[in-house]
Amino acid sequence: MDQNQTVALLKRSMPFQTVPSDMLDAIAKLARYESYARGDVIYHQGDFADDVYIVSSGTVQHTLGIGFQATHPEKILHSGDVFGWAAVLDNQRSRLAKTVCMERTELIRINGEELINLFRASPETGDIVMSRFATMINKEYTMPEEVAGHVPHFTQVPVTMATGLTLTMFRLSQWLKSPKPYLMFTGFGILLATWYFTVEVWKLPRFVDMPGLTVVMKEWFSKDPVYGLSIYTPEYYQHIWVSVRRILIAFFLATVLGVPLGLFLGWSKTFREYVFPVFETLRPIPILAWVPLAILMFQGSETPVIYLTFLASFYATALNTMLGVETIDESYSRAAACLGASKWQTFKEVIVPGAMPFMFTGLQISIGVAWFSLVAGEMVSGEFGLGYVINTSYTMVRYPTIVIGMITLGIVGYTSSALVRMAGDYMMQWRVRELALGGR
Amino acid sequence: MSAVLQKSAKAEKGALKGAIRIEDVVKIYDPEGAAVMAVDHCSLDIPAGEICMIVGPSGCGKTTLLNAIAGFHSISSGKIFLDDELLCGPEKPMAQPGSDRIVVFQNGALFPWKSNLDNVAFGPLMQGKLGKKEIYDKARSMMADAGLSGTEHNFPGEVSSGLRRRVEIVRALMNEPKVLLFDEPYRALDSLTKSVMHEALLEIYYKNKVTIFFITHDLEEAIFLGHRLVIMSSRPCKPKKIIDVDIPHPRDYSVLTSTRYRQLMDETIELVHEEAKKAFSAGEKEG
Repeated sequence: MDQNQTVALLKRSMPFQTVPSDMLDAIAKLARYESYARGDVIYHQGDFADDVYIVSSGTVQHTLGIGFQATHPEKILHSGDVFGWAAVLDNQRSRLAKTVCMERTELIRINGEELINLFRASPETGDIVMSRFATMINKEYTMPEEVAGHVPHFTQVPVTMATGLTLTMFRLSQWLKSPKPYLMFTGFGILLATWYFTVEVWKLPRFVDMPGLTVVMKEWFSKDPVYGLSIYTPEYYQHIWVSVRRILIAFFLATVLGVPLGLFLGWSKTFREYVFPVFETLRPIPILAWVPLAILMFQGSETPVIYLTFLASFYATALNTMLGVETIDESYSRAAACLGASKWQTFKEVIVPGAMPFMFTGLQISIGVAWFSLVAGEMVSGEFGLGYVINTSYTMVRYPTIVIGMITLGIVGYTSSALVRMAGDYMMQWRVRELALGGR
Repeated sequence: MSAVLQKSAKAEKGALKGAIRIEDVVKIYDPEGAAVMAVDHCSLDIPAGEICMIVGPSGCGKTTLLNAIAGFHSISSGKIFLDDELLCGPEKPMAQPGSDRIVVFQNGALFPWKSNLDNVAFGPLMQGKLGKKEIYDKARSMMADAGLSGTEHNFPGEVSSGLRRRVEIVRALMNEPKVLLFDEPYRALDSLTKSVMHEALLEIYYKNKVTIFFITHDLEEAIFLGHRLVIMSSRPCKPKKIIDVDIPHPRDYSVLTSTRYRQLMDETIELVHEEAKKAFSAGEKEG
């Protein structure tokens, strides 16, 4: 087995999956290759625990000794599985299990102490690997958390709070390595192919007037567009900017007003008695029903559209924030009271951060409905914007431009909700890390 | 051990505080017009510095009593004193929650959005008694004392449940409370972790003598930890029998194999089993 094969095997194993490649090379250098016949015992319970093993090929039966509180003491290991982890526990110098090969088996073994010394030099990677070891011991080997808690810890200040960007970059690189992006492109491929075939190849009866894929693409990327709108015309960006600006204003207002309203609705029973029934009566009224009043209430064409966009977002934000406050476990407020926090301090330190997960769900919904009602508003009134483009292109029979407007809406809308999600992850590091440990 | 801690330990040795006196307390719930008696004329004296184990089947109303002491619930009649100071009584049915009586909750109540260190520092920071630097220094040294070094900057969700419980106890001790109120804190832990937690709790107790009011339905836990067991009858909740555990402290896990432990187990198991059967046939919801 050469260096490359060892690195490939490490990459497939749960604890080492996320290790950067130079580190993997260093770990692979520690690895020794071994082969066993069927029925060979690799180690007995109580043997000195020196090495960690990774199965390369074959099958190994791993039986944890009784008394270790594993809920499933027996486990069959296959290629890529890691065992012999007692060698990295800081309080354990003897084997906790017996391992027997069930067929011809090839393994690599890595000395536990050498591995730990290697991690001392780059403690941050080490902590990630060790926390993955802990998860594996607990989840896959069903050992109690207390045992898993004995994996060593290298950094004094493990990860600082400002890991938002690094974490996002790390996730991006993970994403690119996984099959996900390729599945995603396949998904888009199928959509575009369906469009192309139904309209331009098979020319299905109902699709006669539809603009085809190639027509739309040619128009969209044309320096001299037939209907006057493409990525080379300044009007295109003007429309996008006008819509984005309206969304920004409406979303900002909805957040600034909706979050505090939701927090107080959830927090104060009296306030809720006053406001919630009114809120619940207004909320189901569809945005389109507000159009006439919005036009009557506000001057010009800009404010009515912003008002309509704001309204839908505001309801979503306030309602979810309120739900967020309601779902906070009562123990947290009680604990805060025990520790001497005043009512206001409890609000600031417990209610606000505790409601945050729901609040950000609300903001995600909010940005989505904002685009929805923006387009509705722009179709009714307004002189610019993507909704306006779609509507006027229809009346002026510029069919490809309709689709350009639609696709642009999709892209801009997706980007905006991704930004909201990233802001949420950045502000809730505790949640991101907690979920990451659960493998989500 | 830091200077701050030594000083506080000395102060506590001087005059032990935290005696709880429960006098004829009754709690009646009246949710839908049908009055349910949860606590029935309960009287109990807990001397300062004692580990008092309240044993009873799930849902017997033990937590109601704890909530009354902590100040989360009102009582219908009776009085509760802490060091001869009235916590709640006829004039004042609900006690004011405060840092002299800190609850360690059943499912843990470390704030998941704060790092372990920030959790530990929370109490003094809120009370504004000390400077920020002093508070964090004290928090670090107390965490180090409890074997929690290296987890300061982790969030609670990132460490094992056993460690979380330890952080929670340290968070309570930061406030130098007179009483710690435990509401079945180790219920969700497996037995191996539990045994480690018990020894750790005793170790902490020997360093910081506080009164411990500990609710449990686990007899093994009760006898191992407690100076006294108060066996509660099922709803309405009332002390049925008080048993002195005459095994000397400091204890370690070898106690579990001693003959005296066996005898106490035999004496109490029948009593507890009887109440459990009553609660079961009454179909009480666990709580």
